[in-house]
Amino acid sequence: MVNEFSSSEEKILTVAKIENGTVIDRIPPGKSLRVLEVLGIDSNYPYVVAIAMRVPSVKMKVKDVVKIKGKALTKKEIQTLTFIAPHSTVNIIKNFKVINKTELLIPKKVEEIINCINPNCVTNAHEPIVSSFDILSEEPLVLRCVYCDRLLKGVSLQNQL
Amino acid sequence: MKSNLIQHLFTTRKLSKQDIENLFDLAKKIENNPNDYSEFCKGRILGNLFFEPSTRTRLSFESAMLRLGGKILGFTSSRDSSATKGESIADTIRMVNHYADIAVVRHYMEGVGEVAKQFATIPIISGGTGTQEHPTQALLDLYTLEKEFGNIDGLNIGFLGDLKYGRTIPSLLYSLIKYDKVKINLISPKTLRIRSNVENRLSDAKSDFIVTENLHEVLETLDALYVTRIQKERFLDPIDYERLKNSYKITPETLQDVKDHFVILHPLPRVDEIHYDVDKLKYSRYFEQAKNGVWVRMALILKLLGVE
Repeated sequence: MVNEFSSSEEKILTVAKIENGTVIDRIPPGKSLRVLEVLGIDSNYPYVVAIAMRVPSVKMKVKDVVKIKGKALTKKEIQTLTFIAPHSTVNIIKNFKVINKTELLIPKKVEEIINCINPNCVTNAHEPIVSSFDILSEEPLVLRCVYCDRLLKGVSLQNQL
Repeated sequence: MKSNLIQHLFTTRKLSKQDIENLFDLAKKIENNPNDYSEFCKGRILGNLFFEPSTRTRLSFESAMLRLGGKILGFTSSRDSSATKGESIADTIRMVNHYADIAVVRHYMEGVGEVAKQFATIPIISGGTGTQEHPTQALLDLYTLEKEFGNIDGLNIGFLGDLKYGRTIPSLLYSLIKYDKVKINLISPKTLRIRSNVENRLSDAKSDFIVTENLHEVLETLDALYVTRIQKERFLDPIDYERLKNSYKITPETLQDVKDHFVILHPLPRVDEIHYDVDKLKYSRYFEQAKNGVWVRMALILKLLGVE
């Protein structure tokens, strides 16, 4: 699958191609299991799922990669992955070919997928609205609730990702 | 605030210095000749949606609308509304759109302004939301300071007490940072220090502010001191409240070395953070603030209704 080439060891790690599905490449090392969890893929998933962890990478030194047969990501799943595995690439595979490749870039604004930590924020009440945050900083990740103005960062944010 | 558009007021961040000055110009005209405005809101209704208790804010909004010749309706606690049946804020706003021409909302939840923006077809004014903001209180505080000093620019202002939970504090700070060379002194015990989101906005605005626990370190340099109550209702643990409630008490002795033109403000209600003996001193302005609230709120109603 991975087609990564380690020049020093001259070994090739190969996993079979998939006909239709999604390959998520350049995942930050160690995050691939969390990626699968977010995508709802567990032992009951009926098709091939390949996971490669801490694979050598020219750009990243090491990276994770997952390959999922028969899976198309929803918009919401892609949004969530952006925060869990920023700068990963999502490759959509059709008939063994990559028909679309997208880098997951942290947006300026995010809606719905993250909850405000403030229990008194109106987004945590029974209202016909969705949570909304402005992204103030990517590294470290800091979000500001559009509704109550509170900042989300550090552990309180990581717990949701 | 453009009077020909539906606008809401939930944060002073969205007001420009010009908006504030225009509002104060009108408030001064009203204060000088209130009778001239006694029919400006004839036939108009103000809805008061108070999901939390209030004395000054509610009464002064009611006084403001009545002095403008308008009428009022509403409720004074969530127990008196369908909120107890689980009705959402959005639905309450959609309902009041048809019952009133303008409304005031006080709520314990934060972020109500964004809900109003999505569901209101009439102007909605915040009467205080959770610990987030209380913009009309800040405007009357600022109006009081402007009347006192003639200009906000260059003032050295102290904020004392509960800077974490006091909702008037962020609103007043966001107003002050629009002015030039205002020095801000944030004086509180560590546990009641200003919230990081507010401090973040002060830093973003490159405002001149310091954070300290020691009032006496800065008191003699201040033009004004804004004292706030340590709010019992904001503490989950009553022991924390008992420990901190006496942190900063102002007595006549405290004020021995203040500047001659120094003034002391408080959004009220006070408990015992300002001794009653201070009321008699030339420095106290908190009852003046309460009076100014009516003029500022009259001006705000007129601006938002576009009938000035």
